[in-house]
Amino acid sequence: MLSKGLAAALLCMGSAAQALTVFACEPEWAALTRVLLPSAKIHVATHAGQDPHHIEARPSLIAQLRGSELAVCTGASLEAGWLPMLQQRAGRAVPVLEAGDHVSMIDAQPGAIGTPWAGDVHAEGNPHVHADPRNLLDVAKALAEELQRREPAERAAIAQRMAAFEKSWSARIQAWQQQALPLKGKTVAGQHSGFGYLWRWLGMTQSADLEPKPGMAPTPGHLQRLLEGLRAQPPLAVVLSSYQDPRSARWLGQQLNRPVLVLPATVAEDAGEAELARWFEGLITQLLQAK
Amino acid sequence: MKHVLTLSALLLACTAHAQTAPTPNTPKREAWQFGAVLDLTHSTRALALGQREQGLQLGHSDLTASGPLGPWLRGHVGAVLATHDGKLEKGFEEVYAETPALPAGLQLRAGRFASQIGQLNQQHPHADDFSERPLLYRAFFGGHWNDDGLRLNLTLPTPIYWMVGAEAFRGRKLVDEMANRERKPGALTLVTKLGGDIGRSHSWQLGLSYLNNRREASVELEDEHHEEHEDHEDHDAHEHDEHAGHSHAALFTGRKTWMVDATWKWAPNGNNREQQLRISFEAARTTGLNRYANAGQRHEANAIAAVWRFNPSWEVGARSDWLRVNQPHGDHFHKGLLREHSLMLAWKPSHMQAVRLQVSRQRDAVEFENPSKRSVFLQYVIAFGAHGAHAF
Repeated sequence: MLSKGLAAALLCMGSAAQALTVFACEPEWAALTRVLLPSAKIHVATHAGQDPHHIEARPSLIAQLRGSELAVCTGASLEAGWLPMLQQRAGRAVPVLEAGDHVSMIDAQPGAIGTPWAGDVHAEGNPHVHADPRNLLDVAKALAEELQRREPAERAAIAQRMAAFEKSWSARIQAWQQQALPLKGKTVAGQHSGFGYLWRWLGMTQSADLEPKPGMAPTPGHLQRLLEGLRAQPPLAVVLSSYQDPRSARWLGQQLNRPVLVLPATVAEDAGEAELARWFEGLITQLLQAK
Repeated sequence: MKHVLTLSALLLACTAHAQTAPTPNTPKREAWQFGAVLDLTHSTRALALGQREQGLQLGHSDLTASGPLGPWLRGHVGAVLATHDGKLEKGFEEVYAETPALPAGLQLRAGRFASQIGQLNQQHPHADDFSERPLLYRAFFGGHWNDDGLRLNLTLPTPIYWMVGAEAFRGRKLVDEMANRERKPGALTLVTKLGGDIGRSHSWQLGLSYLNNRREASVELEDEHHEEHEDHEDHDAHEHDEHAGHSHAALFTGRKTWMVDATWKWAPNGNNREQQLRISFEAARTTGLNRYANAGQRHEANAIAAVWRFNPSWEVGARSDWLRVNQPHGDHFHKGLLREHSLMLAWKPSHMQAVRLQVSRQRDAVEFENPSKRSVFLQYVIAFGAHGAHAF
């Protein structure tokens, strides 16, 4: 019996000594976790080919959350359709760090109550915060604090990595802003508001949304109305995310004789800082080439 | 005993360690969420064992509220509204509290809630892919079995999902009129579920459920039975009148029920919003029908369904149901058989609304009155406010 008690104590200690297991709702948060705590074991729930609003609470995801000590998610109701079910089924109260709590949100509609006809209304604001590299810095700071509290042994190392990331990332932001100057003031037509933060950062505007209401698939009637409105002032490009059906955007691009850009919604699941940077470079390059 | 205490203390210390672990920088106070779902359906003809009457009616519509009850519990309240026989029925279908943070993957729930047996029972019927539940649920569980009881679930720390759970219920909704009185919990369930992904595009879940129902349905009186037998030849027209009165209780019960369910879903590259194929199979077998039944007498049902989302807003599906029962008549049984086939087309402009057109036909009916050659359902489901995330 005593040995059993000992085993339990060992088990208790053992679990504290293991590498931190993190459940990342989206690959960008996995990348930040990797930058700050390379030893962490990371489960990445979604990838750039999936619409993060419409993930199913699959058994595999429940098992991954069950095995994690911390979840890093976007928040602002992006995961409202699936994360609560994972939390309920996991049988474990895994604390969630929500990126949306650590950045200033755009398009917030305080007190907005979604009606069935209004589409997906995010009262908290546009949840796709990762498309502004300055937001990633803010989230990284909050994540670094969180990881330091969970891994006291790594406190100094995390602080060091955070400082290094802040330095290199800030330099990159400067360079990208220079590179993207020609894009300032340009308009794009887009499907959904998935790159709203990117437009704001680069001084661009999204003059039309292919979705009749947020989250609703484009309809022929809506596209026709958009086309009439956009003819007078054609956008730089028609933009959509890697997980969206390109047919509506292609049709609109053809009608307007403007290029269609399929932008990757985020980085690969195994990405670190270099891939995060390459993602922003790719976005800017694609936009600069759309002429 | 002392060692057990030591062990418990150690485990508690472990738990306390887990519970005092820091929470994220800005702990948010979770708010209560409220939602409502309205289900309006017009049907051209009621199905045998169907839950929708002819004409326009309010289906399973509900008002729900869920949120934290202090730091250790979550509460959920669900009131349901539906029309039956032209009357509005209302009641509390779900009132429960559960623990979100017990150690070791354990979860306890108490109150009134839907049993987790099978694949569909836990789901609100308005979230189904078809306008009527499979025959299996309509015949064995009154469509949707919710009851007063306790649940203890354990999610194991395995790389693939593995859950085991047990429930104890009063069992009143399984058997309306009992043959005898029992004070013990009327129904016990054991459920296990396994699931995972295969690559990016495939996911699966398997479930096995066992239901032990201690409540024995009352058997008909001998007199009634003899009367029934005298005009046995044309009993199609009026038999089983005792079931004509409206009841939510299960129609066919027994001591033991085993169920298996399997779900396989395919979405190209895992992007289920654009396209998805869902195939599900469920089978149930009930034995120990009553004191007169022998081992070979049982109820059986199965259902297989395929639904294809071919566009973010459109789904098409087909389902085939099969039911074979042994209807108790005093000390012996009459064999009953029913098949049902359904086709549906659904338009879902957003996840808050759905319009569904369904055609169902029933065939090979033996001992079931009024099988429907063709029933057409036009269903409209609309959700307001928060409507809980859906299970797999």
